[in-house]
Amino acid sequence: MIGAIFSQALREYLRARKILPWLLLTSLCYLFSAYLGQLQPGITAQGKYIVSSTILVYHIMALASAIYTTSIISQEVEQRTIVYLLTRPIPRPVLLLTRYLASVLVVYGIGVFGAVCSAAGSHTWSLLPHDLVAMLVGAFAYGGLFLAISLLFNRSMIICLLYAFGWEISVPSMPGEMYRLSIYSYLQSIANHPDVEINAAIAGLASPKSMHLITAWICMIIAIVGLAAFSAYWFQTHEFIGREDAE
Amino acid sequence: MESSSRGGGGRLSVHDIELKNVSRWYGEVIGLNDVTCTVGPGLTALLGMNGAGKSTLLRLITGQLRPTTGELLVGGMEPFANPAVYRLMGYCPEIDNFYEHYNGFQFVNFMARLQGFDGAHAKRRTAEVIEHVGMSERAHKKIAGYSKGMRQRIKLAQAMIHDPQIILLDEPLNGLDPVGRREFIDVLGDLADRGKTILVSSHILFEVEQMTRSILLLHRGRLLATGDLREIRGLIDKHPHKIRVETSDPRRLATYMLDRANVVSARFERSGTAVQFEVAEPDAFYTMLMNVIDDHQLLVQGYSSPDNNLESVFRYLVSN
Repeated sequence: MIGAIFSQALREYLRARKILPWLLLTSLCYLFSAYLGQLQPGITAQGKYIVSSTILVYHIMALASAIYTTSIISQEVEQRTIVYLLTRPIPRPVLLLTRYLASVLVVYGIGVFGAVCSAAGSHTWSLLPHDLVAMLVGAFAYGGLFLAISLLFNRSMIICLLYAFGWEISVPSMPGEMYRLSIYSYLQSIANHPDVEINAAIAGLASPKSMHLITAWICMIIAIVGLAAFSAYWFQTHEFIGREDAE
Repeated sequence: MESSSRGGGGRLSVHDIELKNVSRWYGEVIGLNDVTCTVGPGLTALLGMNGAGKSTLLRLITGQLRPTTGELLVGGMEPFANPAVYRLMGYCPEIDNFYEHYNGFQFVNFMARLQGFDGAHAKRRTAEVIEHVGMSERAHKKIAGYSKGMRQRIKLAQAMIHDPQIILLDEPLNGLDPVGRREFIDVLGDLADRGKTILVSSHILFEVEQMTRSILLLHRGRLLATGDLREIRGLIDKHPHKIRVETSDPRRLATYMLDRANVVSARFERSGTAVQFEVAEPDAFYTMLMNVIDDHQLLVQGYSSPDNNLESVFRYLVSN
């Protein structure tokens, strides 16, 4: 039963018209990291990889998570196909979390593809394993946050996109402790990239404040578990039915 | 008005649907108002105009919605988000939405997997129900290319996939051609004969009459009547029954009949070959009619009751 839910969701998320745009977008990471030297002469191979992954890959992943995660339930509600899922003998939390896992897997795959493109373009592979771990955490964390938002709000896609595009890009560069309110900051601490010199024009995007690695891990684990548990509880106890279905 | 609280008779079983003073509000708007009834084995029609609360009632029974007040039990259990209830129940929603990129077989097979069938068993069962609803030849075409009638059949197939004891169908006859409707009604009749509890919502009164005499009549969120259609009709004493008698001498017949206490009026048709009586007690009227025909040697070609049908019952009830 769980396998059927998971494979159906995965099949839905991996439909060509859904996944190809993301693969095309992330493949730009290869070009960006390969030609970054022309924007910033003298940058090292590691520097190219770090700039490409931090500026592009993590943000693309957040964006992909916003799109995929909000479709877990919202799309089913909008398409009104939610009725077929909710009238089956499957505990609602199982249904939700299984589809969440499928979306996390796809988002992680997009992130990994982008990171590999960045590594291939910059000809450096040594930092990739750290990013693969941080991206897995990121896929779960962004997914958890956007899942909760999608259950709480109508038109959640707008909120999630604003978060992924606006908040995650601007907040890490804000003064004081604001960066702690950004998932991106924690992920960068988990990725633990070495310091590199970055062009001033893009430095603001790529240099979040660092925090202790243990702190980052603990905060992310609490956030992931807390958000997933909250979402499961909310989905179990609330009605999910298209508005137009109400007579 | 309640002639009988049972859809199919018999004592309350675990497969019954039971509502006690159930109301459902949508903000300031009431969708269902203090409904109390039970539905048992057999085929019961849920009747009402658009906006009467039929779909709300079905969504409450299927656990998609929660009652605002009152108690609702399906098989003795509260249905909201209750997997145990969904093992007993199959639901054919009114919506025409599917995973359009699936074909019919894939969709029903997916529903079978969600119902708990393993891979091989799910495929076997899917093939069986698809054949049962007459979709075998078209099951491997994309749903996006299906006609309305084909979609209805696939929806019925997914509702029947686990051979549930309770089957709920929301406007299942919409979009079916006459042959398809006949076949669909036959399938439902067959399921009802096997002891299934079937609740069918519809506003197509003529077709409901062909399916069952057991009805739940909703109007503006309230349950106006439950039970057997004829019994309900008999209880409507405010509205005399119309009985049309074809005879070569309608005026003479009317003269004899209008003396009787339960005959309210007589109306002659322009053709001069029939008279329509309004009577308070139809059974007594028929006995009297036979006596009058016999006593006065009247020639009667036939008689009928034009308002002894669902359309009339519905019209009478909702007009109050």
